[in-house]
Amino acid sequence: MTIHKLEVLVENEPGVLARVAGLFARRTYNIDSLVVGPTENSKISKMIIGVSVEGHSLEQVIAQLDKLINVISIEEILDGAISNTKHDTQPDYQN
Amino acid sequence: MAHVPTANGTVMTGATSLVKSLEAANVDVMFGIPGGAILPAYDPIYDSTIRHILVRHEQGAGHAATGYAQVTGRAGVCIATSGPGATNLVTPLADAAMDSVPMVAITGQVPSVAIGTDAFQEADIRGITMPFTKHNFLVTNPDEIPRVIAEAFHIATSGRPGPVLVDIAKDALQKQTSYNWPTSINLPGYNPQIQPNQEAINDAAVLIAQSAKPIFYVGGGVIKANAARELLELAQLLGAPVVTTLMARGAFPDSHPLHLGMPGMHGTVAAVTGLQKADLLITLGARFDDRVTGKLSTFAQNAKVIHADIDPAEIGKNRYADVAVIGDVRETIKALIPALTAALSKGRADISPWLASMNKLKATYPLGYDTPADGALSPQLVIERLGKICGPDTIFAAGVGQHQMWASQFISYEKPRTWLNSGGAGTMGYAVPAAMGAKVGAPDTTVWAIDGDGCFQMTNQELVTCALNNIPIKVAIINNESLGMVRQWQTLFYDSRYSNTSLDSKRVPNFPMLAEAMGCVGLSCESPADVDATIEKAMSINNQPVVVDFRVHRDAMVWPMVAAGTSNDEIMIARATAPDWDSQEL
Repeated sequence: MTIHKLEVLVENEPGVLARVAGLFARRTYNIDSLVVGPTENSKISKMIIGVSVEGHSLEQVIAQLDKLINVISIEEILDGAISNTKHDTQPDYQN
Repeated sequence: MAHVPTANGTVMTGATSLVKSLEAANVDVMFGIPGGAILPAYDPIYDSTIRHILVRHEQGAGHAATGYAQVTGRAGVCIATSGPGATNLVTPLADAAMDSVPMVAITGQVPSVAIGTDAFQEADIRGITMPFTKHNFLVTNPDEIPRVIAEAFHIATSGRPGPVLVDIAKDALQKQTSYNWPTSINLPGYNPQIQPNQEAINDAAVLIAQSAKPIFYVGGGVIKANAARELLELAQLLGAPVVTTLMARGAFPDSHPLHLGMPGMHGTVAAVTGLQKADLLITLGARFDDRVTGKLSTFAQNAKVIHADIDPAEIGKNRYADVAVIGDVRETIKALIPALTAALSKGRADISPWLASMNKLKATYPLGYDTPADGALSPQLVIERLGKICGPDTIFAAGVGQHQMWASQFISYEKPRTWLNSGGAGTMGYAVPAAMGAKVGAPDTTVWAIDGDGCFQMTNQELVTCALNNIPIKVAIINNESLGMVRQWQTLFYDSRYSNTSLDSKRVPNFPMLAEAMGCVGLSCESPADVDATIEKAMSINNQPVVVDFRVHRDAMVWPMVAAGTSNDEIMIARATAPDWDSQEL
């Protein structure tokens, strides 16, 4: 089982955690770990989500997460460091 | 009527700010029912230029908003109070989410101090609708109302359309506020890609030019994007066969020689087989739904896939895409036409044997039905005659079940936005209120609801709304006195044990009398010889809604059929009858 860590910047609004948790639950994605905290910008919170993507592609999890209006950006953390490749609304179309 | 813009900074109640905001969003009609928590908003609605249509059930308001949106391409608006008023919108919201319908639902909420106390008529409608709204809002500060309404309409109508719910606490409607309509939308996490990536377009064009067995797999996105004309040009440029899904009926003319019909569980042999045997699926605004693919692992196994969609999350969700093109499908097709022209000029595969084999299949296995020997009325005949007599400008809205499939199969759709149905959610009861909304959106067009006797009994109360508000829709009840599709499955898969599918609707209710009681004209037809005259009679009545009780025989089944969970290769053209594959060269 592969666990990926995603750093997710979200708008600091009521209900955002429910939106993210609900998305994972209804699409049967597994949350391995979840940390939520503030950022230097009071309007933005940061989530670190550990997701085991067995049965699903990481691209699909990221694409569904990105559809949440309150999700601003998603980056994968590789080996403790944030990857240089920023996931945005268009994944590499050849993948 | 033009709305008089309200100056920013004007002081008013939150309720007036809401109505001014809806006017600023160019809303011309909304469907709803007042109640305690939303009552403050209904006072300024009384003075508004917006037409409010008082429905009889909130579900009717929701589906009417969908019907309006499907016909006009604009956001449909419905409004309800808190608690049960709001939860009655849940089904239409789920329905709109599944079919990507732009809708804005406004609900009243209990006063902000009462939220979370299990107050009278309190329901956490924001929490309830999170899974099947594109986004939703809870507003407790009246100053936020204009911004939230502007964002709601922007989100509902842009990118992949969808329903947005705005829940507003009663005290936010009552308090004084300063109206400020925003000059721009600021949603940092929302930026749908409209223009396709040119590199992806070029790759798609090369794949298409190399393909000997290409097929256009056209979904509802083509209608949403108003891309029917561009699709026609692209299809004729390549000369490849086209299939249109249940949500895409009308996106490509049924009469066009390249059209193979609808794919999927009840698709034509040619359309289902075309997808199965193709070497390239040119997928435009479709999402590889299980009702189209059948058993996914056996779907179009030799095909490469070009997948064009505005929603990046659809790419690779069910089927791997060799080339993904993210963007508005109209922009995609417009970009693809010159790219494909250039690619074809450098040489192309010969697709004529493929086209010939598809045309042979189409000719060998046309849609058809058996006429009962005892002279009983066939449901398919009724629907076929409706299509023929009413013509391609008529809008048809179907319920869900056998009659829906026959309405998709036996009416020739030539234009987009003439076929409305609940495709993804399969919502029984959709037809009457959706037809009502469609007629409001297109008042000069004939609108028929084609409904089952089961579906009709779920939402027919909106005929009262139609009768009182000069919305003269026409309803054809395909009355087989059964939950017909469920009965068909019981025939095929449950040893003809008809558990709870007999509705006795030829005895009770008396549909024509029920129609008359609701202020409509009620007609009845039981003989094939009377079908045309009955339809013509209904067509001649335009000052009242008309309901026709077509009393059809109950044993008709929908064919072809790919049984749920099986491969499209297992398509049956009649019970235990597969196509004669040996005589086909594919």
